[in-house]
Amino acid sequence: MSDYLSTLRELREKALKGGGPKRIEQQHERGKLTARERLAFLLDEDSFQEFGALATHNITDFGMADQRYPGDGIVTGLGKINGRRVAVFAQDFTVMGGSFSEVQSHKICRIQDLALESGIPLIGLNDSGGARIQEGVRSLAAYGEVFQRNVLASGVVPQISVMLGPCAGGAVYSPALTDFVIMTRDTSFMFLTGPEVIKSVTGEDVSVANLGGPLIHNCRSGVAHFLAANEQAAISMAKLLLSYLPQNNTEDPPQVAPYDPADRMEESLNSVVPASESEAYDMHLVIDAVFDRDSFLEVHSCYAPNAVVGFARLDGYAVGIVANQPAHMAGALDIDASDKIARFIRICDAYSIPLITFVDCPGFLPGVDQEYHGVIRHGAKIIYAYTEATVPKISIVTRKAMGGSYVAMSSKQMRNDLAYAWPTAQIAVMGAEGAVRILYRQELSKTEDPTALEQKYIEHYRAMFFNPFRAADLGQIDEVIEPRETRPRLIRALEVLRTKVQQNPTKKHGLMPL
Amino acid sequence: MALAERMMPGVQITILGMGLVFLLLALLWGILVLMLRLDREPPPHGSNEDEGATRPAPSIPRGMAPELFAAIGVAVLTHRSVLRKQAAPSMRSHWPGSILFASRWVSAGRHQQTQSWRPGKR
Repeated sequence: MSDYLSTLRELREKALKGGGPKRIEQQHERGKLTARERLAFLLDEDSFQEFGALATHNITDFGMADQRYPGDGIVTGLGKINGRRVAVFAQDFTVMGGSFSEVQSHKICRIQDLALESGIPLIGLNDSGGARIQEGVRSLAAYGEVFQRNVLASGVVPQISVMLGPCAGGAVYSPALTDFVIMTRDTSFMFLTGPEVIKSVTGEDVSVANLGGPLIHNCRSGVAHFLAANEQAAISMAKLLLSYLPQNNTEDPPQVAPYDPADRMEESLNSVVPASESEAYDMHLVIDAVFDRDSFLEVHSCYAPNAVVGFARLDGYAVGIVANQPAHMAGALDIDASDKIARFIRICDAYSIPLITFVDCPGFLPGVDQEYHGVIRHGAKIIYAYTEATVPKISIVTRKAMGGSYVAMSSKQMRNDLAYAWPTAQIAVMGAEGAVRILYRQELSKTEDPTALEQKYIEHYRAMFFNPFRAADLGQIDEVIEPRETRPRLIRALEVLRTKVQQNPTKKHGLMPL
Repeated sequence: MALAERMMPGVQITILGMGLVFLLLALLWGILVLMLRLDREPPPHGSNEDEGATRPAPSIPRGMAPELFAAIGVAVLTHRSVLRKQAAPSMRSHWPGSILFASRWVSAGRHQQTQSWRPGKR
């Protein structure tokens, strides 16, 4: 018995050492933690139960028989984050560069299956050089198994990918299929084909950072949702993000004991919208004033900044926020903003998180480039996502709500539950200047002083449509409220809507204009 | 005996009696004012006057530098903020998925919304 125990202890000891002290030292020199150090930082103390610590590959080609490490370059198991059960895996770069093997796949799949069956979130700490070439097609099939489970778990249990090192080739699709991707600033990158392949195929010369660095994926491609300064910050971000998400799609996110008065009225909101309609203001000021103090977690903060999406708390309950940002492109919707908004709405809907929409949008961004790249199709995603969503939906028009963007941004017809407007709201088919030139074209062409007449008609048009009262009169706005009342109004409305249940027609799946 | 002479004792008794009553009332009023003054409530917390006297001074453990004491205070507050942001158990009003937290109406509704999904099958 003692021999068996000593063998087990020896193997366990070996598994804990990963690729060995030298590799661990190299990992630390790169400013990176080992897989086990990362898990220790992520999980509650003494909560981790490891599975598959002794698993190794059975490949003998290319001298692989001598390179067998217990765990095979990945640590998987179950643990707790702030008392909540989670499934985790962490790739170990110290073991053969964290290369993705068949055994790694089996271990990840096992954890994915457990997470899906137990209804608990899955968090992956990625740090892998790519597929294990020595295993050939086995490692490719292994990727496919993981992708399949990513898709099946999508919208059922939250899946968070934390990118802490390289992720190249087919491996990038697993994080891309998860709900959220967090990247570290200096150590992570993601791309399908590397700079060398790109240079040989297209002749383009590009660095790793400019091709798949964290800034590119956070600000240009939209593949990543959060940018973290270092590994600790990235892991803390995952814990923070998890606090806004439920365990699975049948449960609710945790409610924090209310710490900000529900009846707090923020006087500054009454003057946040500038008197001049062409003057910008920062929608973050509105969000910070309305929601629980210091509770806003912005998603995709760098990508498509003309729209703001993120999580916050209202009287302790998690809510999703969608807003136009007048400080960027006047809040106009473009292709990227449409994708960003539509994706976020679907995440909130999947996890039963109520949606609050702040509207200040002059319309969709005009331009040949936008039209050629399909702004119609991308804009339609917002309409699709809002209409499909069955969670409580409340909108507040703060200023402009023009044309198609008014309809798309959680209007009554998008199955919105409550539509509020501030007195500064301007709900119209189009801007005054454009509308007057179309409506009064003949009169303007005949008059001796078209400028004066045009100005007169513009003022008339503004008086008629550039207010929320006509929309309220027609029932398109439920209530015109003082801006400072927004917080208590939203809290009371959500108190009622919290038990909202709405059904969509039975179907296999809808055909979103992807 | 003249009428005035006959009424005089009555007037004297009336004046003496009423005087005594008013004197007693004045004495009572004086006692009440004195009691009110003696029993006055301390000024509300945060008012300018006597603020330093009412607020207890922080008791810094012996041998600890005030800077270190302040740094520990900031760290504790920051830690509480992190716990609240991460919805740590001590900051939650309900455990996610608990019966207290759930509504049967919502549970039934979500079951219907997700009925195409079967656990354990792929």
